[in-house]
Amino acid sequence: MYRRTLMMIRADRLTKHFRTLRRKDGVLGTLTSLFSRHYELKEAVRDVSFELQAGELVGYIGPNGAGKSTTIKMLTGILVPSSGDCVVNGIVPWLDRRNNGKHIGVVFGQRTQLYWDLPLIESFALLRAIYSIPQDVYTRNLAEFSELLNLDEFIRTPVRQLSLGQRMRGDFAAAMLHNPKVVFLDEPTIGLDVVAKESIRGFIGRTNRERGTTFILTTHDLNDVEKLCERIILIDRGQKLYDGSIDAIKRRFGRNRILTAEIDGYCADCDIEMAGAKLLSQNGNRISFEFDRESVRADELIVALAKQYELKDVTVTEPALETIIRQIYISGLSPDPLLEGALP
Amino acid sequence: MASRYVAAYRQFWRLNTLTLLEYKANFFIWFAFTIVYHGIAVATIWIMMSRFPSMNGWRWQEVFFLYALYMVGHTLNNTFFFTIGEVPDHIREGRFDRFLVRPLDPLFQVLSQPGQIWPDEFAIALVFFAFAQGAVHLQWTAAGALLLVFAGLGGALIDFAVQLFVATLSFWVIRMDALRWVVMSLENDFTRYPLSIYNKAVRIMLAYVFPFAFMNYFPATTLLHKTSQAGYTVNPMLGWLTLAVGAVWFSAAYLFWRAGVNRYQGTGS
Amino acid sequence: MAYGAYLEFAKRAFSREGTYRPQVFTHIASVLLRVFLLSTLWTALYRNNGMQAGIPLHAMITYATLALLLDLIYGVNGAYVVREKIREGSIAIDLMRPISVPLYVFADTIGQTAFAALQIVPALALSLLLVHVDAPQSALHFGVFLVSVGLGFIVNFALDMMMATVTFWTMEIFGVQLMVQFMTSLLSGALVPLYFFPQGVLQRLALSSPFAAIYNAPLSIYIGKVGDDGLLPMLGFQLIWAVVFGLAAFVLWRAGERRVVIQGG
Repeated sequence: MYRRTLMMIRADRLTKHFRTLRRKDGVLGTLTSLFSRHYELKEAVRDVSFELQAGELVGYIGPNGAGKSTTIKMLTGILVPSSGDCVVNGIVPWLDRRNNGKHIGVVFGQRTQLYWDLPLIESFALLRAIYSIPQDVYTRNLAEFSELLNLDEFIRTPVRQLSLGQRMRGDFAAAMLHNPKVVFLDEPTIGLDVVAKESIRGFIGRTNRERGTTFILTTHDLNDVEKLCERIILIDRGQKLYDGSIDAIKRRFGRNRILTAEIDGYCADCDIEMAGAKLLSQNGNRISFEFDRESVRADELIVALAKQYELKDVTVTEPALETIIRQIYISGLSPDPLLEGALP
Repeated sequence: MASRYVAAYRQFWRLNTLTLLEYKANFFIWFAFTIVYHGIAVATIWIMMSRFPSMNGWRWQEVFFLYALYMVGHTLNNTFFFTIGEVPDHIREGRFDRFLVRPLDPLFQVLSQPGQIWPDEFAIALVFFAFAQGAVHLQWTAAGALLLVFAGLGGALIDFAVQLFVATLSFWVIRMDALRWVVMSLENDFTRYPLSIYNKAVRIMLAYVFPFAFMNYFPATTLLHKTSQAGYTVNPMLGWLTLAVGAVWFSAAYLFWRAGVNRYQGTGS
Repeated sequence: MAYGAYLEFAKRAFSREGTYRPQVFTHIASVLLRVFLLSTLWTALYRNNGMQAGIPLHAMITYATLALLLDLIYGVNGAYVVREKIREGSIAIDLMRPISVPLYVFADTIGQTAFAALQIVPALALSLLLVHVDAPQSALHFGVFLVSVGLGFIVNFALDMMMATVTFWTMEIFGVQLMVQFMTSLLSGALVPLYFFPQGVLQRLALSSPFAAIYNAPLSIYIGKVGDDGLLPMLGFQLIWAVVFGLAAFVLWRAGERRVVIQGG
């Protein structure tokens, strides 16, 4: 099937510096900071480049303070970059912020755009006016979102009385009423319970598939990313570390596997002599080994174990994305070797 | 494009009404508070001037008129532009970002944030003014009525322009509440008394720097024929300039606001 | 519970207050602005009308200036936090702690007031550049004045506390609280000395109302409006109202506390 791809977002060496205030603590610090203050220059984002095709759903991830929000703010026109360029849907966001606003949707997980004192439907009515949404589009979208997100239960309730999950569902509908081409999601599932997360993820996945809406998802919760995205962009300390598929990063960095075996009978110090495999933990008659997929084959390990012990059950697990990414942050690898060949 | 603004502004007032109905009891309490607040201000003037009957040739009824005239412009501003005072909070709590990702002017959005906004205070101001004009036996003429309209509209614009200026400073300094309060007290307190009691520096400040004197003093001197009192003479034409001064000040404040928004986008403070 | 804990609360409140530099400076600036305004205003009034009620202009300017400085400490309103705690429901947690909440709030207010009192020094020094403030008549007078301020502080705190405690019964009370605050400023003599109220019933009522204990009493003592014979009766007057208001605030608090315990907030 032929599918024409359209470039939706292009970021080219985006860079942003900030001047931040350093504060002091304690009574003395309080008094001295009345008279003198120290500033330091911080490079929040440095030379970040990437491209997104229309209809992509990309996870933009990194630890706290990595520069995720700053990048999103530049792409949405809130911030002007210190240097570098970006184009969103053919528009340079900070040069034509208002036109850019017509075609984008933004969900800030911790900051609602709904009006606290009013029923949800009234916030939608105001957004309808703000975006000049035609009546038929508004009616159709409202009906569809109500069904997908079960808004009907609480659409006439003042927002201040909604649960966090209900409020977030309302915020998602609010961000998408005007059929935006790109939607930026900044920590959309933060603080939500499992059921609400599932509902939100289902909504994102479905609108992405059925409407072809492009999504950039910024989140701490890598489960969101693993369930929704094929591609991730990894950023740390303002720099891009990785840009590619989740499968590829797992293949490349998730070489270690964990084998857990249940042994019949009891052994005090179970271990095995094998290069590339090491004992991880022992809990009664359950023992776990970590091994490098490249140097040890799982069947070899199982055979070796079976020679020494009577095995009742064996499972092999591959590490979750979260584990891999945590390892990448901790090991503090320089970005270059990671980027090499990482792009699919 | 313009229709987008008209539609949004109509929704804004509809939502204000809905919010008000949601909090009826609260509305009546604040209504009573507003009356008490201004009542105490006028009572203070009355108590003071029952002992000191002349303030540079102004009787207490005339000082009351000065207060009521200020109130008209000030409450008109509060009715339409009250939410400008929330800018520091919007910035501090990150809500300002939202205004930048929507296809409308950010200042327009700040001024059309639904809340419990209603012209109730303005209505109270008109009642105070009705009493005050009776107390001074104001001679009504067509010209005088026009001057009062200029004073009300221009006064609101001056008040708004100053508030916009102060709110804009919060793009540079995060904690602006106290400074805002200072300017408000300058405005509230200094406009209560005839300009002629102040020294030259203050007179210049209230006429040309923060032109609050155009909100009430200059129009009142023209209307009450008090342009020459206690050795201080005022050109009676000044009373007519309130609207023009408001327009100039608003333009300047708006340019400053634009610079503030640019600064925000540069630093994301 | 050792009183050391309350001292710690006060210390913490003190350092918390210092966090916002612009507020400190603009607080002082706004005091100076008003010192200037009021001295101009009273000068004009005296120039046009002569001396009234036996208070000469220099005493009046002293009165007005000190009233503004006192407002720095009386205006702290540490009880405000109670209102917030009740609204948010976190008061239930405080009630479970082995401390007395009113005493905790009192300690916190003292800490905040101590920081606010520090501002009085520069505010007074700068005010002296603008206006002449009479020196205290004697060390004794000054001592009595300080005691009087302390008693006024207690009356003021008890009033704030009562207003905040009412939140246990109704949340929509903020507007009413502000109304009381504004009426208090007029009736306490913070805006105009009570001696300038129209003579007769109105003035006698104003002078004997509990609000007179907040500003009118210490300031009258300072400017010498109260003779030597009147000093002790004046302190007695304040003490009576401090005890009455203090007890009333405590009783009201206990009633509110019971309400939370019984109805679960």
